[in-house]
Amino acid sequence: MTDPGEWCGQVCTELHAAWAIAKKDILIYYLKPNIIVSGMLFPIFMFLAFAIGRPEVPAVMIPGLIAITILFSASSIEPVSIPIERRMKTFDRLLSAPISLHTVVLGESMSGFLYSLGIAFVPLIAGLILFPTPIVGFAALIAGLVLTSFCFATMGTLFAAYPTESPGDIMSMLNLVRLPLIFVSGVLIPLEQIPQIGQYIAYFSPLTYGNDLIQAAFAGDTHFNPVIDIVMLLLFILAFQFVANRLYKKYND
Amino acid sequence: MDAIEALSLSKRFGTIQALNQVDFTVSEGETFGFLGPNGAGKTTTIRILTGISAPTGGTARIFGRDIVRDTIAARRQMGIVHETSNIYTDLSAWQNLMFTAELYNVGKKEREKRGADLFELFGLSERRDDKTNGFSKGMKRRLTLAMGLINHPRLLFLDEPTSGLDVQSNLIIRDVIRELNKTGVTVFLTTHNIEEANLACDRVAIINRGQIAAIDSPERLKHTIQSVQSIEVAFDPVSQVHVEDLEQLPHVSEVRKQGDKFRLITEDPPGVLEDIMEYARRHHVHVISVNTPGPSLEDVFIRLTGLDIRTKGVKTVD
Ligand SMILES: Nc1ncnc2c1ncn2[C@@H]1O[C@H](COP(=O)(O)OP(=O)(O)O)[C@@H](O)[C@H]1O
Ligand SMILES: [Mg+2]
Repeated sequence: MTDPGEWCGQVCTELHAAWAIAKKDILIYYLKPNIIVSGMLFPIFMFLAFAIGRPEVPAVMIPGLIAITILFSASSIEPVSIPIERRMKTFDRLLSAPISLHTVVLGESMSGFLYSLGIAFVPLIAGLILFPTPIVGFAALIAGLVLTSFCFATMGTLFAAYPTESPGDIMSMLNLVRLPLIFVSGVLIPLEQIPQIGQYIAYFSPLTYGNDLIQAAFAGDTHFNPVIDIVMLLLFILAFQFVANRLYKKYND
Repeated sequence: MDAIEALSLSKRFGTIQALNQVDFTVSEGETFGFLGPNGAGKTTTIRILTGISAPTGGTARIFGRDIVRDTIAARRQMGIVHETSNIYTDLSAWQNLMFTAELYNVGKKEREKRGADLFELFGLSERRDDKTNGFSKGMKRRLTLAMGLINHPRLLFLDEPTSGLDVQSNLIIRDVIRELNKTGVTVFLTTHNIEEANLACDRVAIINRGQIAAIDSPERLKHTIQSVQSIEVAFDPVSQVHVEDLEQLPHVSEVRKQGDKFRLITEDPPGVLEDIMEYARRHHVHVISVNTPGPSLEDVFIRLTGLDIRTKGVKTVD
């Protein structure tokens, strides 16, 4: 690869640094046992708990399974890696490098993003092989996988801003948000079947739009136009990135 | 242009005033030491100067660039060696170094060449591809230093570079600091080791409880308290002599045991010398050497901070 800096200035330098941070996380954290448990096994058991005993299982539930898998796997790296690096003081390296804090947040999120994209292929391929689940919209599928993964990876980085050296602290805060999201986002229970108040809350859940977009790809039940889903996911990503940046700045002392 | 200008820097953590209106400048090419006991505010100062933590008052400029407003440009000029050897213990030594190079935008060819040179310099070449979790404390420290130098910094921050290290690592690191200084690199180092400040630094700031007590060259600092006089004496057998007895002698204000010698601080060296000979005769010990050294940096430190070094975690020698 050509070295950045000479030909594309500060933006390339920042992107290159973000990628270096992501590579570092990939090398160190992808094979850590607690990440495998929370990122891979947890969504599978979660799903089985709901799927068992239902008549319509499982073909129709494949898009939902993909959405849940992404929710859990994308937000499982940074909440573990960042507190550990705070304890080891290696996080200070990123905070004192000649790069913007936005780049640190982006680079950290990238490892969760790529991890989750990889893991999402497990239910995707399984669904295609085992059941007649035709994909009708490839663009929607790719947008759904990419944006949902990126959104929840950034959410994980956002939660990891909480200044603790213990991953457990962040995981428990995160689960306080992740678990309810499953019930109000139309993943396991269709939106029409949940109480009115839940439906209002659903508008504020990125999982609603991620799930809706992936449903569109599989010709499942959708509530919004895919373009709305995409715009909403982009807005959530920007909001998470912005707030995460603010929190990291605030807690650097 | 000055490498560092700190103008009335203050930092407050809740109710703790960690730094209180600290002013100093470091010229380009200087080796500048921050000497103070634990909790004095040394690390806090480095964290502000490197832009990790924002000051609650005052400003700082690195080669003319404001560290708060122009953080990235200021950081491009610097290398940082943090207080803890903060390396990724799941990565190899080489991976650690190359990652740092990428963070500092050092091109691939350049970082590989520079990396090999630095590993040679720090005696790490043989262990280059080993995971660092098995490294000794000294090796980790040397790797941290190599990481701090990968981008050819004009200004190097070293937070307690040699604290608690083995002799070999200590010597390598002190040599490197001296060599860097010869090539014009500015070094800002903190230490609680008075001898290190004395040997390594062109100028020393003595900091205590977030305030600077004095800034000058080690020699001039010693000169400021020329009035402190002392006698250094060694006895044989040393086990027969007790600090408490010597403290009882007239005109002795303080006694410090330094290795196998005793240092008696006094205004009247000749008078005290007679008393010491008399003491030796009475206790059947021999005086085997006598010295009347001038004030040490340690004396300056005690005079300025009012601290008893031995109880405050400041080391006089390694
Ligand atoms: N993040 C922090 N929160 C609260 N207090 C802090 C923080 N960092 C440092 N301090 C306090 O500031 C003072 C100076 O600390 P420090 O700069 O680490 O000292 P030194 O490096 O000289 O040993 C100490 O009293 C320390 O407890
Ligand atoms: Mg310190």
